[in-house]
Amino acid sequence: MPEPRLSSLSNGTNLVQINLPQAPVVCLDLWCRAGSAWENEAESGLAHFLEHMVFKGSQTLEAGEFDLQVEALGGNSNAATGFDDVHYHVLITPEAAPKALDLLLDLVLQPRLDAADFAMERQVVLEELAQSEDQPEEVAFQELLRQACCGHAYGLPILGRREALEAHTPAAMAAFHSRHYRADRCCLALAGPLAGLDLLEQLQASPLAQLPAAEILAAPPPSPSPLQLQPGQARLELPRLEAARLLMAWQLPGAADQDAVMGGDLLTTLLAEGRRSRLVERLRERLRLVESIDLDLNVLESGCLVLLEAVCEAEQLSAVEQEVRRVLLELQESPPGELEMQRARRLVGNGYRFSLEVAGSVAAMVGNSNLWQRRHNLQQPLSWLEGWDGQRLSRELIPLLHPDRAFSLQAVPA
Amino acid sequence: MNAQQLNLPGGCPLWLVERSGPAILSAKLWLRGGSSADAAGERGAAQLLAGVLSRGCGQLSGDALADLVEGCGAGLRCEAAEDGTLLSLKCASSDAEALLPLLLQMACQPWLVDDQIDLERQLNLQTLQRQREDPFQLAHDQLRGLLYGDGPYGHDPLGVDAELRALGRPQLQAVASELGQSGAVLVLAGEIPNAVEELLLAGLDGAPPSWRAPERQTGPAGLQQAALASSQDDTEQLVLMLGCTTTALGTPQALALRLLHCHLGVGMSSRLFVALREEHGLAYDVGVHHPARIGDAPFVFHLSTGSDRAAEATSELLREWQRLLEEPISEAELALALAKFRGQEALGRQTSSQIADRVALLLGHGLPADFADQSLVAAAALTPADLQAAARELLGQPSLSLCGPTHALKAAEAVWQASGFSR
Repeated sequence: MPEPRLSSLSNGTNLVQINLPQAPVVCLDLWCRAGSAWENEAESGLAHFLEHMVFKGSQTLEAGEFDLQVEALGGNSNAATGFDDVHYHVLITPEAAPKALDLLLDLVLQPRLDAADFAMERQVVLEELAQSEDQPEEVAFQELLRQACCGHAYGLPILGRREALEAHTPAAMAAFHSRHYRADRCCLALAGPLAGLDLLEQLQASPLAQLPAAEILAAPPPSPSPLQLQPGQARLELPRLEAARLLMAWQLPGAADQDAVMGGDLLTTLLAEGRRSRLVERLRERLRLVESIDLDLNVLESGCLVLLEAVCEAEQLSAVEQEVRRVLLELQESPPGELEMQRARRLVGNGYRFSLEVAGSVAAMVGNSNLWQRRHNLQQPLSWLEGWDGQRLSRELIPLLHPDRAFSLQAVPA
Repeated sequence: MNAQQLNLPGGCPLWLVERSGPAILSAKLWLRGGSSADAAGERGAAQLLAGVLSRGCGQLSGDALADLVEGCGAGLRCEAAEDGTLLSLKCASSDAEALLPLLLQMACQPWLVDDQIDLERQLNLQTLQRQREDPFQLAHDQLRGLLYGDGPYGHDPLGVDAELRALGRPQLQAVASELGQSGAVLVLAGEIPNAVEELLLAGLDGAPPSWRAPERQTGPAGLQQAALASSQDDTEQLVLMLGCTTTALGTPQALALRLLHCHLGVGMSSRLFVALREEHGLAYDVGVHHPARIGDAPFVFHLSTGSDRAAEATSELLREWQRLLEEPISEAELALALAKFRGQEALGRQTSSQIADRVALLLGHGLPADFADQSLVAAAALTPADLQAAARELLGQPSLSLCGPTHALKAAEAVWQASGFSR
C-alpha cells in the first residue's frame, strides 16, 4: 500500500501527498470544512453557490480562465459540496501539475465574486434546483431527510431554498468564504506519480501559505450539532412518479469512528449488495416484490445515515415494508453466519482495493481523512474490516438498524 | 500499452494487457450483436438474454454462480448495448482461477431457466416504466424515434414493452445460439494469471466456441430528416435535445466530429457550456452526446432550462448549431479541442477496466487495438476547414425533441418553425 506523507505549512494548513507511480495522472484535491451544515438559516444554499462562484474567477484569473488553462493542459476539474465539506479537484498530467496547482489555489482561495457574475450564476443554481425538482425520486429523498433529521442541517437541501438563494449577496458570500476557508479548516491532498515533483516548495509561496494562521483568527465557527434522527413514518403523493418507493433512514455513529464506518459498510453489504444479500434475495429474487432494493451508507461527521430505497408497484408497498421489517428483525435475533460475513468482507475489501486504482479516489480519501484530523494510512481500514465478526456486528451495530429506529417514507404516484 | 495478442482454439481473439500495480484483473468479453440485432417483434431480446446469462451456466445454477462471484467479492455484469453484448468481470487477481472459467461458459452454456427469464423480464419491464419519471429519458427516447424510426438503433436496449412481454425461452435460445457468431473478442487487463487460456476454456469440455474477430462492416443507418417532436410533461424545466445521425467510429469524418464534440461539449471551457451557461445562465446541465457506434452514431446537443426561458434557450441552441455549419472554429479553439481529446485519452486509461473496455470496444468495431493512438496522430493534422466540412456534410439536418410544460413547448416550437432548420 502506498503510504500517505503528512506535512503542514507554516500557517498550519494540512498537506498530504501520496505517491502512485502507476497512475497516468495527478489529482490535486483541495478540501475545506465548508459544507452546507456550516450555514446559518439565512445562508441556505450559500456553501454550494460559493462553489459555483469560485469558478467565476479570482483576483488574478478572469471568469472562465481557470477552466480554459487547465483544459488546454489536457486536464479537467470539478468540485462537490457536501453537508460537511467541499472539495475542488483537478486531474492533470504530472508535467502540468505545478502550473495547475498554482491555478487551483489562486482560484479557490481568492474568489472574485463579481456582482454581475453573481447574478448570472444565481440563475444557473436556480436551474440546477429546478432540474433536481423535476426528478420525483430526488424530491422523495429530500422529504425523507427533512422529516427524519428534524431540523438538523442534514435534513435541509444542499442546493438551498429558492427564496434564500434569491436573497444572497456577494458580500454575504465573501463573509462565508473568509469565515470558513482558513488555514485550520483546509487540507490539500496530492495523489499520483509525484516522484520528481517538488510541489512542497511551491506551496510555501502559494496563497495556501498566505491564509491567516489559526492563532490570529477568531475562534473557529461552532461545529454543527450532533444528528438525532427521529424514528417515524410518513406517506407522500408525488406527481410524475411512475413506480412507488419505500425510503427508510437510520443513524449510525459519525465519521470520526472509522472502525464503525467499516462495520456499517459490512452491514449494508451483507443486507443489500448482490443477489445473495439478504434483502435483495428475499425481496427481489424470491418474493419478487421490488424492481430494486438498495441500502447506502452515507458517511457524515455528525452521524452517518443509512438510506434504504425499494422501488415497487404502489399496491406492493405495504408488503415490501413488512418484508423489510421481517428481514431486519431476523437479523436482530441471531448474528450473521461466518460464510455470510466472509462474503461481505470480500465485497467491501475488494471495493476498497479497486478504488485505490484511481488517483482521484485516493486523493479524496486521504484528503477527507486529513481534513477531519484522521491520520490513518491506507492499510488501516482493511485491518478494521478484519476486526468485525458476526458477534461484534450483532452487539454494536445491528441494534442500530432495528426497524423501529428508522424513519420510513412511502412515496406513491399522485 | 503492453498488449499481447493470441487466439483461443476455435478462433476467438484474446488480448492480454499486462499491468503492474494493484493485484486486480479485469476481463471483457465483447460479442457483436446487441440491441440493434433484435429481431422484428423481439425488441429487448438481447438485453433480456444478457441479464439471464449470469442466472445459471455450465455446472452452476444461478444461485451457485452468484455465491461464487459474490463470495470472491468480484463484480460481474452482463449488458447489451446497441452494437454488442458485453460481459465484464472484475476481481482480485488471486480469484482469477475460480472466476475466469465463467466468462465463456456464460456465453456458451447458459441455462435459460424459465423462472429466471420471468424474473429478469419483469425487472426490465419495471425499469422501462420507471425511466419515464426522468424528463431527459423521455426527450431522449423521443429523439431516438426521430433519428432512427423503427430501425435497428430505434429502441432502448431494454426493449419495447409489448414485445418484451412476449419474449420467452424459445426466442432467447435462438438469440443465444447466435452469440458471438458475428464476431467476438476477449480482453484481459491487469495482473494476468498463468495458464490463462486453460482457465478461460475450463468447463467447456474441450469444445471452444467457433468465433472470429469482429470485422469491419457497415452498421445500422439513421434517418436523414429534420423533424420536430414534443411531449407534454408537468415539469418546471423544458428539456431540449437537438441532434442528427452521423457516422461510425473509424470512418473518414468521424475524427473531425470527435474534435467538434470536444470543442462543443467537453469541459467547462467548451463552447456550449460557455455560451449557454456562463454567458446566458440558461442551464445547469448542457452538453453533447455522441457515443461511438458501428453505424450512424447520434450527435446531440442537450440542455434543460426554466420553462419561461424556452424561446431564448431554443434560439441560442439553434444558433450554436448553425454556427458549426457557417463558420470554421478558430485555430485556438482547435488547439484546445485537441488538448481535450488527448487529455480524455489519458484519463480514460486509469484503471484495468477502462483499458480493457477501450481495447474491446475498438476491436469490437473491427478497428486495430492501437486505433486510439493512430487517431491522436491523425487528429493533429486536421484543420478548422476539415471540421467545418465534416459539420456541413453530417450535421446539416438536425431534429429537435422537446419535453416539458405546454407553454414552454409552444414557445420552443415557434422558434423552431421560424428557423431555417424546420424547412
